[in-house]
Amino acid sequence: MISVALKHNDCRNFVTVDVSKGICRRTGALVMIDTDVCPNFVALPKCKNCASYADSDEEHIGFCRAEKTEHWTYPELIAVTCTWYKRK
Amino acid sequence: MGKTVTLAEILKEKGISLEQRYGGEPPADMVDREVKKEPTPRAKMLRNLYYQTLSSANMEFPYWYTRTYADNIHDVPVIRRAKALKAAFSHLTPMIFPGEKLVMGKTHYYRGSFPMPWLSEGYYMAREDELYKDAQERGSTSADELVKWGQGGGNVVKSFGNVVSLAGKFGIRKEEVPALLKTARWWVGKSVEDEAAKYEAMVPEYEFKKALMRSVICMFESGFTLPQGREVTNYYYPLQYGLDGLIQMCEEKKAEVAGESGGDLVSGMDRLYFYEAAKLVLEGIQTWVLNYAKEARRLVEVTDDPVQRKEYEEIAEVLEHIAHKPPETFRQALQMQYTIHIGVLNEDAISGLSPGRIGQVLYPYFEQDIEAGRITEEEVLELLECHRVKFTCIDVFASAGVVGGVLSGNTFNNVSLGGLTKDGKSAANRLEMLILEAGITCACPQPTLSVLYDEKLPEEFLLKAIECVKTGTGYPAWMNNRVGMDFILKQYEAEGMTVEEARAWAIGGCLETSPGSWMPLTLRGKTYWIPGGSGQPTSVGVHFLAVPKILECVLFNGKDMRTGIQVFKPHNREIDSYETLVEIWKDYFEQAIDVLNKCNNIQHDIWRKNNMAVWHSILKPDCLERGRHIGNGGYRYNATFNVETCGTVNFINSLAALKKLVFDEKKYTLEQMKDAILNNFGFKTAEEVGSYSLLQQEKREGGQVYDDIHGDCLMAPKMGNDDPYVDSILAAYEEYVCEVPRRYLSLYGKPLYICQISVSTHAPQGAATLATPDGRLAGTTYADASMSPYPGTDVNGPYAVFNSATVWDHSNSQNSQLNMKVHPSAVKGLEGARKLLDLTRAYMRKGGFHIQYNIVDSRVLREAQQKPDEYRDLMVRVAGFTQYWVEIGKAIQDEVIARTEYERV
Repeated sequence: MISVALKHNDCRNFVTVDVSKGICRRTGALVMIDTDVCPNFVALPKCKNCASYADSDEEHIGFCRAEKTEHWTYPELIAVTCTWYKRK
Repeated sequence: MGKTVTLAEILKEKGISLEQRYGGEPPADMVDREVKKEPTPRAKMLRNLYYQTLSSANMEFPYWYTRTYADNIHDVPVIRRAKALKAAFSHLTPMIFPGEKLVMGKTHYYRGSFPMPWLSEGYYMAREDELYKDAQERGSTSADELVKWGQGGGNVVKSFGNVVSLAGKFGIRKEEVPALLKTARWWVGKSVEDEAAKYEAMVPEYEFKKALMRSVICMFESGFTLPQGREVTNYYYPLQYGLDGLIQMCEEKKAEVAGESGGDLVSGMDRLYFYEAAKLVLEGIQTWVLNYAKEARRLVEVTDDPVQRKEYEEIAEVLEHIAHKPPETFRQALQMQYTIHIGVLNEDAISGLSPGRIGQVLYPYFEQDIEAGRITEEEVLELLECHRVKFTCIDVFASAGVVGGVLSGNTFNNVSLGGLTKDGKSAANRLEMLILEAGITCACPQPTLSVLYDEKLPEEFLLKAIECVKTGTGYPAWMNNRVGMDFILKQYEAEGMTVEEARAWAIGGCLETSPGSWMPLTLRGKTYWIPGGSGQPTSVGVHFLAVPKILECVLFNGKDMRTGIQVFKPHNREIDSYETLVEIWKDYFEQAIDVLNKCNNIQHDIWRKNNMAVWHSILKPDCLERGRHIGNGGYRYNATFNVETCGTVNFINSLAALKKLVFDEKKYTLEQMKDAILNNFGFKTAEEVGSYSLLQQEKREGGQVYDDIHGDCLMAPKMGNDDPYVDSILAAYEEYVCEVPRRYLSLYGKPLYICQISVSTHAPQGAATLATPDGRLAGTTYADASMSPYPGTDVNGPYAVFNSATVWDHSNSQNSQLNMKVHPSAVKGLEGARKLLDLTRAYMRKGGFHIQYNIVDSRVLREAQQKPDEYRDLMVRVAGFTQYWVEIGKAIQDEVIARTEYERV
């Protein structure tokens, strides 16, 4: 299990502008991804938050157990459009 | 160590004029551009956000594409690809940015793109990786190594924090890199590049082809980099039928053709698979649109601000409508046009996917909405400004050599204006006036604009276009409608092209004359004939051939003296006459075309078998009627492959210098000339100096021994001065170069033709070329375009340039390209505007195909080079495109600064 701090791009209120920053929908402010999140944080569906996600030995790579094929996936993959997504 | 001496100082001391201006001195103080307007607050806010945005890549689309492709190994190739595309589109995360009215994007980033390892997977790996080394050995990365990226704007030229730089331009989150590498490795041996390389190696001259790439005599292989583009897309079918209507059409067609060959020996049975694939991709696109609609509905629920909430509601309504039905309003049609467009750009790596004549395509909606009072012109203008920002946000992900070396980061979404209607009247309309106005008020690179100049166009429209030119954005460019039509008629006559249909042409990419068709769009019972693209991609084939570099190989018996590679077989001939020189050059040129064409045909054949366009095939006539995708000849016009050259003017000037100094006057022997070239006329290389402009080059100690020969080479006749000595060489060259590609056939069995634009390749190919006999120094940039004189050598004014440039029939080529830099004070006010229009008209009337202007004081550019942070919004015209100054590499910046500045016209 990779233990990483929550980032702004883990939050549902975050509008991702680019790889370094985005806009907070609550405040309208431009914020950097790699800064501390606030108490209003709402988890964005990502593979790492899904009940079907399993870690692997490779860093930043895991498995999707939603299908029989158990295809590899990666924890940061956003899952708002995934029909198999089930929050852990 | 002695004092550094530049060529400019040497020439000044000798009293030799190589002034980079014509028509007197500019005003003492630096002059800003005359025309400046502001966008609406909404567009301004969105454009400002763009200014702060980095080019960003992610793995969402590639992940789902690859996962689904891997899971469907046993499907028919077109179905397998369609399933992968459907999964990828369906899983794209919808992201709506505050203030947007037009929504959707290639990825959830504002300026997002993604790698397509199914095309090529080696170039973005670490340089020590074996995949990169393989690509290097094949020559696919040679141009990458000569590319100078612009260091500012949104380019991620270096890794920082948790951001990794890819291909010198795109940022990707560090956490996604393992997924990128894992995906890329899955495609090893399966990508178009890898698959094609296996079969290219069976071409007997394959080693020769690799040498051409490694020496950068050729620098672009379209089959696995940008397989589509430089063409005009078509929005007709979704606009007319809607996505539900098209799905229904596919279902009916499937029932009609299932099990029927239709009498076709090879591809008749493929029709069923194509219709099924088309249906799958349509469903994917539909889901993609509906995911955005759902996101807009979610935002309605979580947004407190009533104005913003209402806007999200409107966005949801527009998307829910166009996900199923044909658009009924201007806003719906504009949103659908953008959605269709980026859908194509997500399907394949493409530069130069031009919207074409959208002012005429969208006119029915504009006309009816304005008449019914559903929208005002102010609202249309705001939407058009937002449209410009959305188009500017488009990035194309490809290698450094392609995105940097060829494209300068540009994407070439060219909108054509004017031209003629189906029945031969002026096609300019009120919406096109507003498109020009939006180009003025919301200046940004995309979409770039082109006027299809015709004598029938109204003065008011032409003056509006001139007003836009005077903003200094470099657009619109001016293309000769009649010359374009003549080319189209000649090139596509064998495929049924008529005069009426030729009027539907438009510019694809920066300057690629592309065939179109008229389609009957019905809106509320009224039928409009709208133009749209109906041909295959162009600027696929042989690209770009550095013609001065081939001359260098002729002089050195087939060897590239920069890399030491024996590129061509030694000719072992004594070059004792000008005719012999030209004869050997032609032989080398034809050898290069032959092998590059064969290899390119293989690449594109692999592409069409495994990576064929499905979504794009749905859009273009006559794929849906015929049941054939692009690869099976579904498009109406297929003779689009071409041979593209770079460095024309340096080549012509070099031939003139050799003819005069070596063969006619015999002032120098060829050996003396070769010695001077090898020793760079006594100068340091451009790389050592750090400048790519001729006049800034510095003398080596002891280099004075070459002063006389260099002076004579510089003073030899130069194209652009109405001088028959050199212009006759240009005329003979054009007669040859317009004919010779026709001897070679594309994989579709159609003859090639010539394409004469440089885009940005004159920088890296100049960097790969030693000094040339015209006095240009090693590593410096070639003259831009194909008809632009070499900077500082056009001393007789613009009309002399026009006379030189039109000594040949431009309609025998897909294009020609002439750039001119004009000081703002030369075209000031209405009188200046009329002068600029007269100048443009004069060139068109002489048969010139294309001219474009930079209206700028060169001192502004010099200052911007020193203080880039103060010039984030400065744009210039390079060669067929407008780009932000700070995102252009130094070699091209130096070249634009060096161009002759006209102080009066």
